[in-house]
Amino acid sequence: MKRFTQWLRRGNIFIWFSGTMLSLCLLMIVGLVGFIAVKGLGVFWPHALIQAQGPEGAVLGEITSFEAPLGTEPAKVQFRVGNRDIYGQDFKWFQASEIHGRQEPKDALLIERLENGTFIGRIQDISQDGQPIAKAEAAVEEVKRRLPATNKLQAQIRGIEKGAVGELNRKLEDCRQAMESAGSAEARTVLEQQQNSLQSRYNQLQAELDQLRTTAKTFTVTLLTVDGQTKEIPLSGIVRIVPANELSWFGKVRLYFSRLWEFVADDPRESNTEGGIFPAIFGTVMMVLIMSVMVVPLSVVTALFLREYAKDGLLVRATRVAVNNLAGVPSIVFGVFGLGFFVYSVGGTIDQLFYSSKLPTPTYGTGGILWASLTLALLTVPVVVVATEEALAAVPRNQREASLALGATKWQTIWNVVLPGAAPGILTGLILAMSRGAGEVAPLMLTGVVKLAPSMPLDGSFPFLHLDRKFMHLGFHIYDVGFQSPNSEAAKPMVFMTALLLLLVVVLLNLFALRLRRKLRARLGGSTF
Amino acid sequence: MAVIISVGGLTIIAAVIGMMVFIAKEAFPLFKAPSSASIGTFKQRPAQGLLLDESGKAVVLVSPREGMQVHRLPDGQLLSTIMDGPARPWRSQTPMQPRGDMLVQGLDGKLSLSTLKWVKPSGENDPAKWTLEPNWQGALTVQGEVKRLLHFRLSDGSGMGGAAMLRVVATTPSGLAWLESAVDETKPVVLNPIPLPSGLSATCALWNSDGRALYVGTQEGAILDFKMEGEPELLTRSEFGEPVTALGFTIGQTSLLVGGAKGKLAAYQQVRVNEVFQLQPFHAFPTLNGEVLGFSHSLRDKRFLAWTSTQVVVDHLTTERRLFSAAVDQTAQATIAPRGDLILVGSKDGQMRSWSLSAPHADVSQKTLWGKVHYEGYEKPDFVWQSTGGTDDFEPKFGMMPLVFGTLKGTLYAMLFALPLAIFAALYTSQFASPNLRNAIKPAVEIMAALPSVVLGFLAGLVLAPLFEKVAVELLLFPLTTLLCVLLLMPFWNRLPQKWRTIWGEGREVMWGIPLLILGLLLASQTGPWFERIFLGGSFRGWLQTAHGINYDQRNSLVVGFAMGFAVIPIIFTISEDALGSVPKSLTSASLACGASPWQTAWRVVLPTASPGIFSAVMVGLGRAIGETMIVLMATGNTPVMDWSPFNGMRTLAANIAVEIPEAPLHGSLYRVLFLAALLLFAFTFLLNTIAELVRQQLRKRYESL
Repeated sequence: MKRFTQWLRRGNIFIWFSGTMLSLCLLMIVGLVGFIAVKGLGVFWPHALIQAQGPEGAVLGEITSFEAPLGTEPAKVQFRVGNRDIYGQDFKWFQASEIHGRQEPKDALLIERLENGTFIGRIQDISQDGQPIAKAEAAVEEVKRRLPATNKLQAQIRGIEKGAVGELNRKLEDCRQAMESAGSAEARTVLEQQQNSLQSRYNQLQAELDQLRTTAKTFTVTLLTVDGQTKEIPLSGIVRIVPANELSWFGKVRLYFSRLWEFVADDPRESNTEGGIFPAIFGTVMMVLIMSVMVVPLSVVTALFLREYAKDGLLVRATRVAVNNLAGVPSIVFGVFGLGFFVYSVGGTIDQLFYSSKLPTPTYGTGGILWASLTLALLTVPVVVVATEEALAAVPRNQREASLALGATKWQTIWNVVLPGAAPGILTGLILAMSRGAGEVAPLMLTGVVKLAPSMPLDGSFPFLHLDRKFMHLGFHIYDVGFQSPNSEAAKPMVFMTALLLLLVVVLLNLFALRLRRKLRARLGGSTF
Repeated sequence: MAVIISVGGLTIIAAVIGMMVFIAKEAFPLFKAPSSASIGTFKQRPAQGLLLDESGKAVVLVSPREGMQVHRLPDGQLLSTIMDGPARPWRSQTPMQPRGDMLVQGLDGKLSLSTLKWVKPSGENDPAKWTLEPNWQGALTVQGEVKRLLHFRLSDGSGMGGAAMLRVVATTPSGLAWLESAVDETKPVVLNPIPLPSGLSATCALWNSDGRALYVGTQEGAILDFKMEGEPELLTRSEFGEPVTALGFTIGQTSLLVGGAKGKLAAYQQVRVNEVFQLQPFHAFPTLNGEVLGFSHSLRDKRFLAWTSTQVVVDHLTTERRLFSAAVDQTAQATIAPRGDLILVGSKDGQMRSWSLSAPHADVSQKTLWGKVHYEGYEKPDFVWQSTGGTDDFEPKFGMMPLVFGTLKGTLYAMLFALPLAIFAALYTSQFASPNLRNAIKPAVEIMAALPSVVLGFLAGLVLAPLFEKVAVELLLFPLTTLLCVLLLMPFWNRLPQKWRTIWGEGREVMWGIPLLILGLLLASQTGPWFERIFLGGSFRGWLQTAHGINYDQRNSLVVGFAMGFAVIPIIFTISEDALGSVPKSLTSASLACGASPWQTAWRVVLPTASPGIFSAVMVGLGRAIGETMIVLMATGNTPVMDWSPFNGMRTLAANIAVEIPEAPLHGSLYRVLFLAALLLFAFTFLLNTIAELVRQQLRKRYESL
């Protein structure tokens, strides 16, 4: 007993205890990142399609989860049966004991569609202008043969709709507004002519589109579910046909990357639960870039003021308190400020001064990428200031003195010697700020992020960079698809993938910054004596 | 250049101060006292009914002899006169109802209903170009003599035969009576007497919103509540304390306003007591001078106007605040505009006066924000946050307490989880970990700090919450089983040769911790179902429900505590580790030289010395947890309940802002209350950060002096 108390008092057990606490922290980090990585990376890997006899007839689908028996609850199996338009839901739960005769039929197909999600079943036939041209297996071959051309056509239609038609619409709208505010009759006639020519171009495009659409509808495919129901869809409504049980390993890899590419490079479909997230990636990058442009000058100037110009006194202390507090203020408060000040006050004033013809439709008086970037710039100022200060302090004294001794002014010294020396440090701060900006969501929700932006903040129509436009964002995408979507179970894989992407961006940026900082410290540590 | 740089540097101070001032400026109008101004007077013949237009630009004066006169406001110019309708002079008319309905008994004794409507050409702002349509309906012949029409209610067609039914209450020579009839009835209608308890005489009466109950005020100070389906049936009797002289409603017609002969003013509502509805007072207002003569209410919010012969006031139901009060001699009629921004008072000598009233945030007061308020439909005063409802007559409930409570609750659970982990981990890292390990841990923690909160929130809400629901017991057992594992395995470890222990143990305990934790987890998962079966009757949730009456919500405080704790651990860890790691070597060496063990040194010397640093770490962590938005938004159900239970959710100030501000009308009460919440968050974190910074500076000085 005495030995025990002795041992307890010396406290090795507590060292173990605190070590275990640290292990738990590390375990949680690894667990979390690992979990998202595994879940996210597995999203696009094709699974086998299982056909079995269920309680209400045949079932065909991927097995997505299995629940071990718990108390009185029997073991359960979840099938992803797809065919949302026919069954009403993508997933079905069965008791494991009710499922008999599992097999993997070679001819089972997983068909990704533009509408109504995935279809799982078989192809009955394919028709041209209502006349069947091939049935069953021949039909599958026919569909595979014709699909690339149809998809190209579809892409062409989308391209015209989004590009030329959208731009014409905007021009027509501008024209209409100009006519409303036009004073003289001459100006009015000029505008009218302009409008007419735009209108005729518009009609021409519409006719072109109509023709393309008719061509796209030439072929229709009749799909057959495992329980014998049929569904006819145009060939152009099919994105991809996956003979899941026939795929070789190489085929699976190819499919994986093809889906990954679609995810990164395509627009979302079906209220963001399918397709890609390109607009969100693009919006995030744009927002972070605009933010960087604003945050760097302000932060560098502040850091220069603190380190190089101000004498230690009340002012410096006040500035430091301000920077520190800016770092501690909750991000939602920045959002509130951004909404009240940038959007309503500044934006509202800009609208009244420059866009009064469009009122009451707001241009800058509503959330947009400019206001979101400005708000985030304010939020990330402390990050860059702290890093810059550190970098400025680390620039060796002898370098400055050498510069000053050669007759350079203080500013010349700073511009030519100190700032270049501090550049890696500033870059570190900027990268950390970018990672913070990329991951922040709450302030953006108030200042201009949307679930689905009709057009990008940067495109081919004048003036190319549209700072007033709303944008999509990876972080908000996670929140929106995971929590606001009506079909959140079906959307989960997308959310995991988006989360993985965001996590990857943030972690890589941070690792890069850490590396940069360590190098910088090592270098300067060597040169200062 | 120096000037430019200095100006640039000062913009940061300006930005911080500007932010605070701007947010405060947006929130401040909430507390501005209401203001009113007299905007004009004109002279007219005395009128029985007043109806102001929505825009406040025109008024209709209804008089039993001179018909309906439309006047422009505020100058009082006569625009038109309408003389049609029942034969004049009318014998009696009900008070004008706020939407322009009025029942009149013409000279011929027949009852006609008028629904006044403005017809305005689109975009026309000049009241001279508007036309007023009286829309007369019906000519009911009444059997029996009517002395005074008191009130009527037109039910929608959901009654018998789909026809709109008219219910009228009136005084007759023999007492109170009522009738029910279709509006276009041609046969004579009988007035049915309403038997009052003996000794009571009615002074005023009011139908409730669906016309199925009747409130009667009496000379003797009783308020009677009759059920009017079939024969009148007296349900309850409440004592008012002085003769009841006027009854009225606020918008929504759930609150009954009662005025007395000595100026007493109160609001009553139906409250369920022992399964029976009773009429109970729930708001009291400052007393008026003299006998209360009538009420009028706004169609926008819960403000109402009451008048006596010498005074006109506007009060707000929820806040009980007096928004307007004016002394007017010989008041005959008074009304408040539908928007509640204009007051018109007519005196017996025909003097019409008008005031503008500016009280855009009358529904908010310090008391409603921070105190318990008795809202419509509630049994007792309570802290409630419910900013929007489905209907126009919804009473907004801006109680901040549930949100402050939720914020504190979320922060508390996060801290409970994060503090021990972060501080012990920091202590270990700074004192016991080998340098290599330390160099590996720091970047890992920095990565942890950089994880976007939206990812944490998503995991918490969509993965952890359903998981916790399944394995709640195992989770709660996990710390115990791990401790058990440590205690059981420790003796074996101590038996190992000293050499092994030095090589594999010191500075590397962390690595052994991981298998230990996994062992603990396994043990917990094995014993959990067993524990649940034996001690909790097979189901943890069922046990919570039956033994403690606690509901288990899927997205609850445990989940939030875990996810938010995860977010604040790196912050607390980093600052604590800094403070612990920079405790001067001389102190630890002295302690060790005196024969203290490493743990004794760490616990008794290092920790107390660095405690201010840890305190400041906790403050910064608190600041982060208080303001965290996305995690709370995604990992709780966001229900503003006040309950400490770890098994249900909460709504925090920050999440509330994120949920509500996108829908809040610009410069409305909700918008400003949300700005107030932001200001509160700002001030809170400002305070915490400043304290942390000051403490840290003190600590730095102390280290320097050591």
